[in-house]
Amino acid sequence: MRKFEVLNEWVDIKSKVLVLGCGNGEILKELKNKKDIRASGLDLDENKVCEAISEGLSVIQGDINRDLSDWPGKAFDYVIAHDIVQIMTRPDITIKQMVALGGKVIISFPNFAYFMIRFGMLFSGRMPKSNVLPYEWYNTPNIHLFTIKDFKEFCIKEKITIHKEAYTGAGKRKTPEKIIPNFFAEFAYFLIS
Amino acid sequence: MEIIKESKFDNFDSEKSVGIVKTQYFNFGGPPDEMMLENGAKLGPVTLAYETYGTLNQDKDNTILVFHALSGDAHAAGFSDKSDKKPGWWDSMIGPDKPFDTKKYFVLCANVIGGCKGSTGPSSINPATRRQYGLDFPLMSVKDMVDTQKKLLEYLEIEKLFCIVGGSMGGMLALQWIVSYPDISKGAMLIATAPSHSAQEIAFNSIGRYAIISDLNWNCGDYYNGNRPETGLSIARMIGHVTYISEGAIHKKFGRNINEEHNADAHESNNGENKNIKCPGPADFTNEFEVGSYLKYQGESFIKRFDANSYLYITKAIDDFDVSSGYANLADALSRVKAKCFVISFSTDWLYPAEQALKIVKALKINGIETTYTNFESPFGHDAFLIDDERLKKIFTGFLNSLWQ
Repeated sequence: MRKFEVLNEWVDIKSKVLVLGCGNGEILKELKNKKDIRASGLDLDENKVCEAISEGLSVIQGDINRDLSDWPGKAFDYVIAHDIVQIMTRPDITIKQMVALGGKVIISFPNFAYFMIRFGMLFSGRMPKSNVLPYEWYNTPNIHLFTIKDFKEFCIKEKITIHKEAYTGAGKRKTPEKIIPNFFAEFAYFLIS
Repeated sequence: MEIIKESKFDNFDSEKSVGIVKTQYFNFGGPPDEMMLENGAKLGPVTLAYETYGTLNQDKDNTILVFHALSGDAHAAGFSDKSDKKPGWWDSMIGPDKPFDTKKYFVLCANVIGGCKGSTGPSSINPATRRQYGLDFPLMSVKDMVDTQKKLLEYLEIEKLFCIVGGSMGGMLALQWIVSYPDISKGAMLIATAPSHSAQEIAFNSIGRYAIISDLNWNCGDYYNGNRPETGLSIARMIGHVTYISEGAIHKKFGRNINEEHNADAHESNNGENKNIKCPGPADFTNEFEVGSYLKYQGESFIKRFDANSYLYITKAIDDFDVSSGYANLADALSRVKAKCFVISFSTDWLYPAEQALKIVKALKINGIETTYTNFESPFGHDAFLIDDERLKKIFTGFLNSLWQ
Protein backbone atom coordinates (compact mmCIF):
# COMPACT_ATOMS: atom_id res chain seq x y z
CA MET A 1 0.00 0.00 0.00
CA ARG A 2 1.17 3.47 -0.87
CA LYS A 3 0.47 4.80 2.63
CA PHE A 4 2.90 2.32 4.19
CA GLU A 5 5.48 3.18 1.57
CA VAL A 6 5.32 6.88 2.44
CA LEU A 7 5.16 6.38 6.21
CA ASN A 8 8.01 3.86 6.26
CA GLU A 9 10.09 6.28 4.25
CA TRP A 10 9.38 9.29 6.45
CA VAL A 11 9.35 7.83 9.96
CA ASP A 12 12.73 7.30 11.63
CA ILE A 13 13.66 3.99 13.15
CA LYS A 14 12.92 3.52 16.90
CA SER A 15 11.04 6.81 17.08
CA LYS A 16 8.07 7.53 19.32
CA VAL A 17 4.92 7.69 17.22
CA LEU A 18 1.31 8.61 17.95
CA VAL A 19 -1.27 7.69 15.32
CA LEU A 20 -4.57 9.55 15.57
CA GLY A 21 -7.66 7.63 14.54
CA CYS A 22 -5.51 4.51 14.59
CA GLY A 23 -8.48 2.14 14.29
CA ASN A 24 -7.43 -1.45 14.90
CA GLY A 25 -3.78 -0.43 14.72
CA GLU A 26 -2.92 -1.27 11.11
CA ILE A 27 -0.44 1.59 10.70
CA LEU A 28 1.02 1.12 14.19
CA LYS A 29 1.67 -2.56 13.52
CA GLU A 30 3.30 -1.83 10.17
CA LEU A 31 5.61 0.83 11.63
CA LYS A 32 6.38 -1.36 14.63
CA ASN A 33 7.42 -4.23 12.38
CA LYS A 34 9.34 -2.18 9.85
CA LYS A 35 10.69 0.72 11.88
CA ASP A 36 10.68 -0.66 15.44
CA ILE A 37 8.78 2.39 16.68
CA ARG A 38 7.38 2.97 20.16
CA ALA A 39 3.78 2.95 19.07
CA SER A 40 0.83 4.76 20.61
CA GLY A 41 -2.62 5.27 19.17
CA LEU A 42 -5.84 7.13 19.79
CA ASP A 43 -9.23 6.12 18.48
CA LEU A 44 -12.85 6.67 19.42
CA ASP A 45 -14.20 3.26 18.43
CA GLU A 46 -14.23 0.86 21.40
CA ASN A 47 -14.34 -2.22 19.22
CA LYS A 48 -11.34 -1.21 17.13
CA VAL A 49 -9.44 -0.02 20.21
CA CYS A 50 -9.97 -3.43 21.84
CA GLU A 51 -8.75 -5.16 18.66
CA ALA A 52 -5.60 -3.04 18.75
CA ILE A 53 -5.05 -3.70 22.48
CA SER A 54 -5.52 -7.43 21.85
CA GLU A 55 -2.63 -7.16 19.40
CA GLY A 56 -0.47 -5.71 22.17
CA LEU A 57 -0.64 -2.09 21.02
CA SER A 58 -0.78 0.88 23.40
CA VAL A 59 -3.97 2.60 22.36
CA ILE A 60 -6.14 5.06 24.22
CA GLN A 61 -9.84 5.19 23.52
CA GLY A 62 -10.48 8.88 23.07
CA ASP A 63 -11.60 11.69 20.84
CA ILE A 64 -9.09 13.47 18.58
CA ASN A 65 -11.21 16.61 18.92
CA ARG A 66 -10.90 16.68 22.71
CA ASP A 67 -8.14 14.48 24.01
CA LEU A 68 -4.90 15.80 22.50
CA SER A 69 -4.30 18.51 25.05
CA ASP A 70 -3.09 16.35 27.97
CA TRP A 71 0.23 15.14 26.59
CA PRO A 72 3.23 17.41 27.15
CA GLY A 73 4.72 19.34 24.21
CA LYS A 74 6.82 17.21 21.84
CA ALA A 75 5.77 14.04 23.67
CA PHE A 76 6.18 12.16 20.37
CA ASP A 77 8.68 12.21 17.53
CA TYR A 78 5.86 11.83 15.02
CA VAL A 79 2.14 12.43 15.20
CA ILE A 80 0.30 10.89 12.27
CA ALA A 81 -3.21 11.71 11.03
CA HIS A 82 -3.88 9.48 8.04
CA ASP A 83 -7.06 10.27 6.13
CA ILE A 84 -8.86 11.84 9.09
CA VAL A 85 -8.29 15.59 8.95
CA GLN A 86 -11.49 15.92 6.93
CA ILE A 87 -13.53 14.36 9.76
CA MET A 88 -12.13 16.56 12.53
CA THR A 89 -14.53 19.05 14.11
CA ARG A 90 -11.96 21.84 13.91
CA PRO A 91 -8.99 20.77 11.78
CA ASP A 92 -7.21 24.07 12.42
CA ILE A 93 -7.21 23.60 16.20
CA THR A 94 -6.34 19.91 16.04
CA ILE A 95 -3.53 20.34 13.50
CA LYS A 96 -1.99 23.05 15.68
CA GLN A 97 -2.23 20.69 18.67
CA MET A 98 -0.57 17.95 16.63
CA VAL A 99 2.28 20.29 15.70
CA ALA A 100 2.76 21.12 19.39
CA LEU A 101 2.70 17.43 20.33
CA GLY A 102 5.02 15.95 17.72
CA GLY A 103 8.53 16.77 16.61
CA LYS A 104 7.17 16.08 13.15
CA VAL A 105 3.60 15.66 11.96
CA ILE A 106 2.39 13.58 9.06
CA ILE A 107 -0.94 14.53 7.57
CA SER A 108 -2.58 12.78 4.65
CA PHE A 109 -5.91 13.56 3.01
CA PRO A 110 -7.96 13.12 -0.15
CA ASN A 111 -7.43 16.07 -2.47
CA PHE A 112 -10.81 17.57 -3.31
CA ALA A 113 -9.34 19.34 -6.34
CA TYR A 114 -8.37 16.04 -7.99
CA PHE A 115 -9.31 16.32 -11.70
CA MET A 116 -11.73 13.37 -11.57
CA ILE A 117 -13.61 15.12 -8.77
CA ARG A 118 -13.59 18.42 -10.69
CA PHE A 119 -14.88 16.77 -13.86
CA GLY A 120 -17.30 14.61 -11.93
CA MET A 121 -18.96 17.63 -10.42
CA LEU A 122 -18.83 19.56 -13.65
CA PHE A 123 -20.55 16.88 -15.68
CA SER A 124 -22.78 15.04 -13.20
CA GLY A 125 -23.81 18.03 -11.09
CA ARG A 126 -23.67 15.81 -8.02
CA MET A 127 -21.42 15.59 -4.98
CA PRO A 128 -18.38 13.59 -6.03
CA LYS A 129 -17.86 9.97 -5.04
CA SER A 130 -14.69 7.93 -5.47
CA ASN A 131 -12.62 5.20 -3.88
CA VAL A 132 -11.23 7.63 -1.34
CA LEU A 133 -14.53 9.50 -0.92
CA PRO A 134 -17.08 6.68 -1.06
CA TYR A 135 -19.93 8.26 0.94
CA GLU A 136 -23.21 9.93 0.03
CA TRP A 137 -23.61 13.60 0.90
CA TYR A 138 -26.02 12.73 3.72
CA ASN A 139 -23.95 10.11 5.52
CA THR A 140 -20.38 11.20 4.96
CA PRO A 141 -18.15 11.69 8.00
CA ASN A 142 -16.05 14.02 5.82
CA ILE A 143 -17.22 17.39 7.01
CA HIS A 144 -14.15 19.43 6.05
CA LEU A 145 -13.11 18.58 2.51
CA PHE A 146 -10.18 20.59 1.22
CA THR A 147 -7.51 20.69 -1.44
CA ILE A 148 -3.74 20.56 -1.59
CA LYS A 149 -3.72 24.27 -2.35
CA ASP A 150 -5.96 24.96 0.67
CA PHE A 151 -3.66 22.97 2.92
CA LYS A 152 -0.51 24.70 1.73
CA GLU A 153 -2.13 28.10 2.28
CA PHE A 154 -3.16 27.01 5.77
CA CYS A 155 0.43 26.01 6.55
CA ILE A 156 1.73 29.41 5.42
CA LYS A 157 -0.91 31.22 7.49
CA GLU A 158 -0.12 29.15 10.61
CA LYS A 159 3.66 29.32 10.03
CA ILE A 160 3.85 25.56 9.66
CA THR A 161 6.86 24.28 7.73
CA ILE A 162 6.31 21.67 5.03
CA HIS A 163 9.33 19.34 4.91
CA LYS A 164 8.16 16.68 2.51
CA GLU A 165 5.19 15.97 0.29
CA ALA A 166 4.04 12.91 -1.61
CA TYR A 167 1.07 12.23 -3.84
CA THR A 168 -0.85 9.37 -5.32
CA GLY A 169 -3.03 9.56 -8.40
CA ALA A 170 -5.67 7.23 -9.77
CA GLY A 171 -5.12 3.61 -8.75
CA LYS A 172 -2.87 4.80 -5.91
CA ARG A 173 0.08 5.11 -8.26
CA LYS A 174 2.77 7.49 -7.23
CA THR A 175 2.31 10.88 -8.86
CA PRO A 176 5.34 13.05 -9.55
CA GLU A 177 5.19 16.09 -7.28
CA LYS A 178 6.03 18.51 -10.02
CA ILE A 179 3.09 17.85 -12.31
CA ILE A 180 0.40 20.13 -10.83
CA PRO A 181 -0.45 17.91 -7.83
CA ASN A 182 -3.56 19.92 -6.99
CA PHE A 183 -4.98 18.69 -10.30
CA PHE A 184 -3.52 15.21 -10.73
CA ALA A 185 -3.15 13.93 -7.16
CA GLU A 186 -6.05 12.02 -5.63
CA PHE A 187 -4.38 11.71 -2.25
CA ALA A 188 -1.70 13.84 -0.56
CA TYR A 189 0.87 13.28 2.21
CA PHE A 190 2.65 16.07 4.05
CA LEU A 191 5.46 15.97 6.59
CA ILE A 192 5.24 19.19 8.57
CA SER A 193 6.37 20.77 11.80
CA MET B 1 9.33 -21.65 57.41
CA GLU B 2 9.99 -23.15 54.01
CA ILE B 3 9.29 -20.86 51.10
CA ILE B 4 6.90 -22.61 48.77
CA LYS B 5 7.04 -21.05 45.34
CA GLU B 6 4.74 -23.43 43.60
CA SER B 7 1.20 -24.11 44.64
CA LYS B 8 0.45 -27.69 45.38
CA PHE B 9 -2.25 -29.12 43.22
CA ASP B 10 -3.04 -32.48 41.76
CA ASN B 11 -4.47 -33.11 38.34
CA PHE B 12 -7.87 -31.71 39.23
CA ASP B 13 -9.10 -30.55 35.82
CA SER B 14 -5.56 -29.36 35.20
CA GLU B 15 -6.24 -28.61 31.54
CA LYS B 16 -8.25 -25.52 32.40
CA SER B 17 -7.72 -24.93 36.09
CA VAL B 18 -4.86 -24.44 38.49
CA GLY B 19 -6.49 -27.33 40.36
CA ILE B 20 -6.43 -27.74 44.11
CA VAL B 21 -4.69 -24.86 45.82
CA LYS B 22 -3.64 -24.25 49.36
CA THR B 23 -3.74 -20.90 51.12
CA GLN B 24 -0.41 -20.07 52.70
CA TYR B 25 0.39 -17.72 55.55
CA PHE B 26 3.21 -15.25 55.96
CA ASN B 27 3.85 -13.95 59.46
CA PHE B 28 5.92 -10.91 60.29
CA GLY B 29 6.08 -7.92 62.59
CA GLY B 30 6.17 -9.82 65.87
CA PRO B 31 7.34 -7.71 68.81
CA PRO B 32 9.55 -5.73 68.90
CA ASP B 33 9.39 -5.37 65.09
CA GLU B 34 5.74 -4.37 64.80
CA MET B 35 4.73 -2.73 61.58
CA MET B 36 4.34 1.04 61.69
CA LEU B 37 1.15 2.03 59.90
CA GLU B 38 0.70 5.20 57.86
CA ASN B 39 -1.11 6.90 60.77
CA GLY B 40 1.70 6.06 63.21
CA ALA B 41 -0.12 3.17 64.93
CA LYS B 42 1.73 -0.09 65.43
CA LEU B 43 0.44 -3.46 64.31
CA GLY B 44 2.01 -6.81 64.97
CA PRO B 45 2.37 -9.62 64.65
CA VAL B 46 0.84 -9.53 61.17
CA THR B 47 -0.33 -12.51 59.16
CA LEU B 48 -0.95 -12.32 55.43
CA ALA B 49 -2.93 -15.10 53.77
CA TYR B 50 -1.83 -15.67 50.20
CA GLU B 51 -2.09 -18.09 47.33
CA THR B 52 0.23 -18.64 44.39
CA TYR B 53 -0.39 -20.24 41.02
CA GLY B 54 2.18 -21.24 38.45
CA THR B 55 5.94 -21.33 38.90
CA LEU B 56 8.42 -18.56 39.60
CA ASN B 57 10.98 -18.63 36.79
CA GLN B 58 14.73 -18.66 37.23
CA ASP B 59 15.09 -14.91 36.61
CA LYS B 60 12.27 -14.30 39.10
CA ASP B 61 10.67 -11.81 36.73
CA ASN B 62 7.39 -13.49 35.80
CA THR B 63 5.30 -12.62 38.86
CA ILE B 64 1.87 -11.09 38.47
CA LEU B 65 0.60 -9.63 41.71
CA VAL B 66 -3.19 -9.60 41.90
CA PHE B 67 -5.06 -7.31 44.30
CA HIS B 68 -8.58 -8.34 45.28
CA ALA B 69 -11.63 -6.12 45.70
CA LEU B 70 -13.50 -5.13 48.89
CA SER B 71 -15.03 -8.49 49.76
CA GLY B 72 -12.44 -10.62 47.96
CA ASP B 73 -9.72 -12.83 49.35
CA ALA B 74 -6.47 -14.58 48.52
CA HIS B 75 -8.30 -17.46 46.89
CA ALA B 76 -8.31 -16.07 43.36
CA ALA B 77 -8.21 -19.30 41.35
CA GLY B 78 -8.60 -23.04 41.60
CA PHE B 79 -10.35 -25.06 44.28
CA SER B 80 -9.58 -25.28 47.96
CA ASP B 81 -10.51 -28.95 48.02
CA LYS B 82 -12.29 -31.47 45.89
CA SER B 83 -15.68 -30.77 47.42
CA ASP B 84 -15.37 -27.08 46.52
CA LYS B 85 -18.25 -26.16 44.21
CA LYS B 86 -16.99 -22.76 43.12
CA PRO B 87 -13.46 -21.88 42.08
CA GLY B 88 -11.58 -18.76 43.27
CA TRP B 89 -13.00 -15.34 42.45
CA TRP B 90 -10.93 -14.74 39.28
CA ASP B 91 -10.69 -18.28 37.99
CA SER B 92 -11.90 -17.04 34.59
CA MET B 93 -8.66 -15.07 34.22
CA ILE B 94 -6.07 -17.12 36.11
CA GLY B 95 -5.00 -20.59 34.95
CA PRO B 96 -3.37 -22.51 32.15
CA ASP B 97 -3.88 -20.73 28.79
CA LYS B 98 -5.97 -18.04 30.45
CA PRO B 99 -4.84 -14.37 30.34
CA PHE B 100 -2.85 -14.74 33.56
CA ASP B 101 -1.41 -17.91 32.13
CA THR B 102 0.01 -20.08 34.89
CA LYS B 103 2.18 -21.86 32.31
CA LYS B 104 4.03 -18.56 31.83
CA TYR B 105 3.43 -16.51 34.93
CA PHE B 106 3.73 -16.89 38.67
CA VAL B 107 0.50 -15.41 40.00
CA LEU B 108 0.33 -14.19 43.57
CA CYS B 109 -2.72 -12.94 45.47
CA ALA B 110 -2.81 -11.95 49.14
CA ASN B 111 -5.69 -11.01 51.42
CA VAL B 112 -5.46 -7.40 52.61
CA ILE B 113 -4.80 -6.52 56.23
CA GLY B 114 -7.97 -5.44 57.96
CA GLY B 115 -9.72 -8.29 56.17
CA CYS B 116 -11.22 -11.45 57.57
CA LYS B 117 -9.97 -14.08 55.14
CA GLY B 118 -6.85 -15.22 56.91
CA SER B 119 -4.93 -11.95 57.12
CA THR B 120 -4.75 -9.95 60.34
CA GLY B 121 -7.86 -7.86 60.87
CA PRO B 122 -10.29 -6.75 63.58
CA SER B 123 -11.55 -10.32 64.04
CA SER B 124 -8.01 -11.59 64.72
CA ILE B 125 -6.78 -12.15 68.26
CA ASN B 126 -5.07 -9.13 69.78
CA PRO B 127 -1.97 -10.52 71.51
CA ALA B 128 -2.23 -7.76 74.14
CA THR B 129 -5.71 -8.79 75.32
CA ARG B 130 -5.98 -12.35 73.93
CA ARG B 131 -9.39 -11.38 72.63
CA GLN B 132 -10.46 -10.28 69.16
CA TYR B 133 -9.20 -6.79 68.34
CA GLY B 134 -12.60 -5.32 67.55
CA LEU B 135 -12.17 -1.55 67.52
CA ASP B 136 -8.72 -1.85 69.11
CA PHE B 137 -7.55 -2.72 65.61
CA PRO B 138 -5.73 0.34 64.25
CA LEU B 139 -7.22 2.16 61.26
CA MET B 140 -5.20 1.02 58.28
CA SER B 141 -4.88 2.65 54.87
CA VAL B 142 -4.68 1.42 51.30
CA LYS B 143 -0.98 2.30 51.49
CA ASP B 144 -0.64 0.02 54.53
CA MET B 145 -2.34 -2.79 52.60
CA VAL B 146 0.19 -2.29 49.79
CA ASP B 147 3.18 -2.06 52.15
CA THR B 148 2.34 -5.39 53.80
CA GLN B 149 2.23 -7.05 50.40
CA LYS B 150 5.63 -5.56 49.60
CA LYS B 151 6.89 -7.32 52.71
CA LEU B 152 5.44 -10.56 51.38
CA LEU B 153 7.38 -10.08 48.15
CA GLU B 154 10.59 -9.51 50.12
CA TYR B 155 9.92 -12.70 52.06
CA LEU B 156 9.41 -14.58 48.79
CA GLU B 157 12.62 -12.96 47.51
CA ILE B 158 10.86 -11.42 44.51
CA GLU B 159 12.39 -8.10 43.51
CA LYS B 160 10.74 -7.56 40.12
CA LEU B 161 7.13 -7.90 39.10
CA PHE B 162 5.96 -8.57 35.59
CA CYS B 163 2.64 -6.90 36.22
CA ILE B 164 0.32 -5.83 38.98
CA VAL B 165 -3.41 -5.95 38.50
CA GLY B 166 -6.47 -5.01 40.49
CA GLY B 167 -10.12 -4.18 40.01
CA SER B 168 -12.19 -1.76 42.09
CA MET B 169 -10.44 -1.53 45.50
CA GLY B 170 -7.75 -3.75 43.98
CA GLY B 171 -7.22 -1.07 41.35
CA MET B 172 -6.61 1.46 44.11
CA LEU B 173 -3.97 -0.83 45.60
CA ALA B 174 -2.38 -1.19 42.17
CA LEU B 175 -2.40 2.58 41.71
CA GLN B 176 -0.87 3.12 45.14
CA TRP B 177 1.71 0.43 44.34
CA ILE B 178 3.03 2.14 41.20
CA VAL B 179 3.40 5.36 43.19
CA SER B 180 4.93 3.75 46.31
CA TYR B 181 7.13 1.27 44.42
CA PRO B 182 7.55 2.71 40.92
CA ASP B 183 10.61 0.66 39.98
CA ILE B 184 9.29 -2.79 40.68
CA SER B 185 6.64 -3.60 38.10
CA LYS B 186 6.82 -3.54 34.30
CA GLY B 187 3.08 -3.18 33.89
CA ALA B 188 -0.01 -2.16 35.83
CA MET B 189 -3.64 -2.95 35.08
CA LEU B 190 -5.99 -0.52 36.79
CA ILE B 191 -9.51 -1.82 36.37
CA ALA B 192 -12.85 -0.18 37.24
CA THR B 193 -11.15 2.03 39.78
CA ALA B 194 -10.56 5.62 40.86
CA PRO B 195 -7.69 7.79 42.12
CA SER B 196 -9.95 8.69 45.05
CA HIS B 197 -13.61 8.13 45.90
CA SER B 198 -16.21 10.61 44.76
CA ALA B 199 -18.92 11.82 47.13
CA GLN B 200 -21.29 9.25 45.60
CA GLU B 201 -18.96 6.35 46.36
CA ILE B 202 -18.38 7.61 49.89
CA ALA B 203 -22.14 8.02 50.23
CA PHE B 204 -22.90 4.37 49.52
CA ASN B 205 -20.12 3.18 51.84
CA SER B 206 -21.36 5.58 54.53
CA ILE B 207 -24.85 4.08 54.37
CA GLY B 208 -23.30 0.63 54.65
CA ARG B 209 -21.24 1.58 57.67
CA TYR B 210 -24.21 3.31 59.26
CA ALA B 211 -26.32 0.16 58.81
CA ILE B 212 -23.68 -1.82 60.70
CA ILE B 213 -23.04 0.58 63.56
CA SER B 214 -26.79 1.12 64.01
CA ASP B 215 -27.28 -2.59 64.55
CA LEU B 216 -27.50 -2.99 68.34
CA ASN B 217 -25.58 -6.25 68.08
CA TRP B 218 -22.58 -4.35 66.75
CA ASN B 219 -21.87 -3.23 70.32
CA CYS B 220 -19.01 -0.90 69.38
CA GLY B 221 -17.32 -3.70 67.51
CA ASP B 222 -17.27 -6.05 70.48
CA TYR B 223 -19.58 -8.80 69.31
CA TYR B 224 -17.39 -11.82 68.69
CA ASN B 225 -18.65 -13.67 71.74
CA GLY B 226 -22.30 -12.84 71.21
CA ASN B 227 -24.82 -12.08 68.51
CA ARG B 228 -23.25 -10.53 65.45
CA PRO B 229 -24.57 -7.41 63.67
CA GLU B 230 -25.97 -9.55 60.90
CA THR B 231 -28.85 -7.26 59.96
CA GLY B 232 -26.54 -4.28 59.62
CA LEU B 233 -23.94 -6.15 57.59
CA SER B 234 -26.52 -7.71 55.31
CA ILE B 235 -28.11 -4.31 54.59
CA ALA B 236 -24.63 -2.91 53.87
CA ARG B 237 -24.09 -5.74 51.40
CA MET B 238 -27.49 -5.25 49.78
CA ILE B 239 -26.66 -1.60 49.11
CA GLY B 240 -23.20 -2.50 47.87
CA HIS B 241 -24.56 -5.20 45.61
CA VAL B 242 -26.94 -2.80 43.87
CA THR B 243 -24.01 -0.49 43.11
CA TYR B 244 -22.04 -3.33 41.54
CA ILE B 245 -24.61 -4.16 38.87
CA SER B 246 -25.91 -1.96 36.09
CA GLU B 247 -29.41 -0.57 35.96
CA GLY B 248 -29.99 -2.48 32.72
CA ALA B 249 -28.69 -5.82 34.00
CA ILE B 250 -30.70 -5.77 37.22
CA HIS B 251 -33.86 -4.80 35.35
CA LYS B 252 -33.31 -7.47 32.71
CA LYS B 253 -32.86 -10.08 35.44
CA PHE B 254 -35.80 -9.13 37.65
CA GLY B 255 -37.92 -6.45 36.03
CA ARG B 256 -40.94 -5.74 38.19
CA ASN B 257 -41.48 -9.41 38.89
CA ILE B 258 -43.28 -10.35 42.06
CA ASN B 259 -41.84 -13.14 44.14
CA GLU B 260 -44.88 -15.42 44.40
CA GLU B 261 -43.08 -17.88 46.65
CA HIS B 262 -42.34 -15.20 49.19
CA ASN B 263 -45.92 -14.00 49.22
CA ALA B 264 -47.15 -17.54 49.84
CA ASP B 265 -44.61 -17.92 52.67
CA ALA B 266 -45.58 -14.64 54.25
CA HIS B 267 -49.04 -15.93 55.01
CA GLU B 268 -47.73 -18.97 56.76
CA SER B 269 -45.98 -18.93 60.06
CA ASN B 270 -42.34 -17.97 60.00
CA ASN B 271 -39.85 -20.29 61.53
CA GLY B 272 -36.66 -19.02 63.11
CA GLU B 273 -34.64 -19.53 59.95
CA ASN B 274 -36.82 -17.26 57.90
CA LYS B 275 -36.15 -13.68 58.85
CA ASN B 276 -39.15 -12.23 57.06
CA ILE B 277 -40.70 -9.60 59.23
CA LYS B 278 -44.29 -10.56 60.03
CA CYS B 279 -46.70 -8.04 61.42
CA PRO B 280 -50.32 -8.58 62.48
CA GLY B 281 -51.90 -6.25 59.90
CA PRO B 282 -52.67 -7.19 56.30
CA ALA B 283 -49.89 -5.09 54.76
CA ASP B 284 -46.60 -6.80 53.89
CA PHE B 285 -43.59 -4.60 53.24
CA THR B 286 -40.96 -7.29 53.01
CA ASN B 287 -39.53 -8.51 49.77
CA GLU B 288 -42.52 -8.97 47.56
CA PHE B 289 -40.44 -8.00 44.52
CA GLU B 290 -38.03 -10.57 43.16
CA VAL B 291 -35.21 -8.06 43.15
CA GLY B 292 -35.81 -7.48 46.86
CA SER B 293 -35.62 -11.14 47.80
CA TYR B 294 -32.54 -11.55 45.60
CA LEU B 295 -30.79 -8.76 47.49
CA LYS B 296 -31.93 -10.18 50.81
CA TYR B 297 -30.41 -13.50 49.81
CA GLN B 298 -27.17 -11.73 48.81
CA GLY B 299 -27.06 -9.99 52.18
CA GLU B 300 -27.74 -13.16 54.12
CA SER B 301 -25.09 -15.18 52.35
CA PHE B 302 -22.58 -12.37 52.84
CA ILE B 303 -22.88 -12.45 56.64
CA LYS B 304 -21.71 -16.06 56.60
CA ARG B 305 -18.44 -15.13 54.94
CA PHE B 306 -17.61 -11.61 56.04
CA ASP B 307 -16.92 -9.79 59.28
CA ALA B 308 -18.81 -6.55 59.98
CA ASN B 309 -15.79 -4.82 61.52
CA SER B 310 -13.66 -5.70 58.50
CA TYR B 311 -16.36 -4.14 56.34
CA LEU B 312 -16.10 -0.94 58.39
CA TYR B 313 -12.30 -0.81 58.36
CA ILE B 314 -11.88 -1.61 54.68
CA THR B 315 -14.60 0.70 53.36
CA LYS B 316 -13.17 3.48 55.55
CA ALA B 317 -9.69 2.84 54.11
CA ILE B 318 -10.91 3.10 50.52
CA ASP B 319 -13.04 6.16 51.28
CA ASP B 320 -9.98 7.83 52.85
CA PHE B 321 -7.78 6.80 49.92
CA ASP B 322 -6.44 9.53 47.68
CA VAL B 323 -3.36 8.52 45.73
CA SER B 324 -2.46 12.18 45.28
CA SER B 325 -2.36 12.98 49.00
CA GLY B 326 1.04 14.38 49.84
CA TYR B 327 1.48 15.53 46.24
CA ALA B 328 0.47 18.74 44.47
CA ASN B 329 -2.07 16.88 42.37
CA LEU B 330 -2.75 13.54 40.70
CA ALA B 331 -0.35 14.20 37.81
CA ASP B 332 2.36 15.06 40.32
CA ALA B 333 1.71 11.80 42.22
CA LEU B 334 1.85 9.77 39.03
CA SER B 335 5.02 11.49 37.80
CA ARG B 336 6.91 8.74 39.63
CA VAL B 337 5.25 5.96 37.65
CA LYS B 338 7.48 3.84 35.44
CA ALA B 339 5.13 0.95 34.69
CA LYS B 340 3.30 0.77 31.41
CA CYS B 341 -0.33 1.28 32.39
CA PHE B 342 -3.58 -0.24 31.20
CA VAL B 343 -6.63 1.58 32.52
CA ILE B 344 -10.03 -0.02 31.97
CA SER B 345 -13.48 1.29 32.81
CA PHE B 346 -16.77 -0.38 31.92
CA SER B 347 -19.48 1.31 29.90
CA THR B 348 -22.29 0.52 32.36
CA ASP B 349 -20.32 0.96 35.59
CA TRP B 350 -22.03 3.83 37.39
CA LEU B 351 -20.15 3.30 40.66
CA TYR B 352 -16.69 3.86 39.14
CA PRO B 353 -17.64 5.65 35.93
CA ALA B 354 -15.31 6.31 32.99
CA GLU B 355 -14.75 9.90 34.19
CA GLN B 356 -12.74 8.59 37.13
CA ALA B 357 -10.64 6.27 34.99
CA LEU B 358 -10.05 9.19 32.63
CA LYS B 359 -8.60 11.22 35.50
CA ILE B 360 -5.93 8.54 35.83
CA VAL B 361 -5.44 8.41 32.04
CA LYS B 362 -5.09 12.20 31.88
CA ALA B 363 -2.50 12.24 34.68
CA LEU B 364 -0.52 9.46 32.98
CA LYS B 365 -0.64 11.31 29.64
CA ILE B 366 0.56 14.52 31.28
CA ASN B 367 3.59 12.57 32.43
CA GLY B 368 4.14 11.02 29.01
CA ILE B 369 3.70 7.49 30.41
CA GLU B 370 2.83 4.80 27.90
CA THR B 371 -0.86 4.23 28.53
CA THR B 372 -3.62 2.08 27.18
CA TYR B 373 -7.25 2.82 27.93
CA THR B 374 -10.65 1.56 26.96
CA ASN B 375 -14.13 2.16 28.24
CA PHE B 376 -15.04 -1.47 27.68
CA GLU B 377 -18.55 -2.19 26.41
CA SER B 378 -20.25 -4.52 28.86
CA PRO B 379 -23.80 -4.72 30.18
CA PHE B 380 -22.66 -5.94 33.60
CA GLY B 381 -21.82 -2.72 35.44
CA HIS B 382 -19.01 -2.45 37.98
CA ASP B 383 -18.65 -6.22 38.41
CA ALA B 384 -17.95 -6.65 34.67
CA PHE B 385 -14.29 -7.44 35.34
CA LEU B 386 -15.32 -10.59 37.22
CA ILE B 387 -17.40 -11.88 34.30
CA ASP B 388 -15.95 -14.54 31.99
CA ASP B 389 -15.81 -12.50 28.77
CA GLU B 390 -13.77 -13.52 25.71
CA ARG B 391 -13.19 -9.95 24.51
CA LEU B 392 -12.01 -8.90 27.94
CA LYS B 393 -9.64 -11.87 28.09
CA LYS B 394 -8.22 -10.89 24.70
CA ILE B 395 -7.34 -7.34 25.76
CA PHE B 396 -5.82 -8.63 29.02
CA THR B 397 -3.69 -11.10 27.04
CA GLY B 398 -2.73 -8.43 24.50
CA PHE B 399 -1.55 -6.04 27.19
CA LEU B 400 0.43 -8.71 29.03
CA ASN B 401 2.07 -9.82 25.76
CA SER B 402 3.09 -6.22 25.07
CA LEU B 403 5.05 -6.18 28.34
CA TRP B 404 7.49 -8.76 26.99
CA GLN B 405 8.68 -6.30 24.35
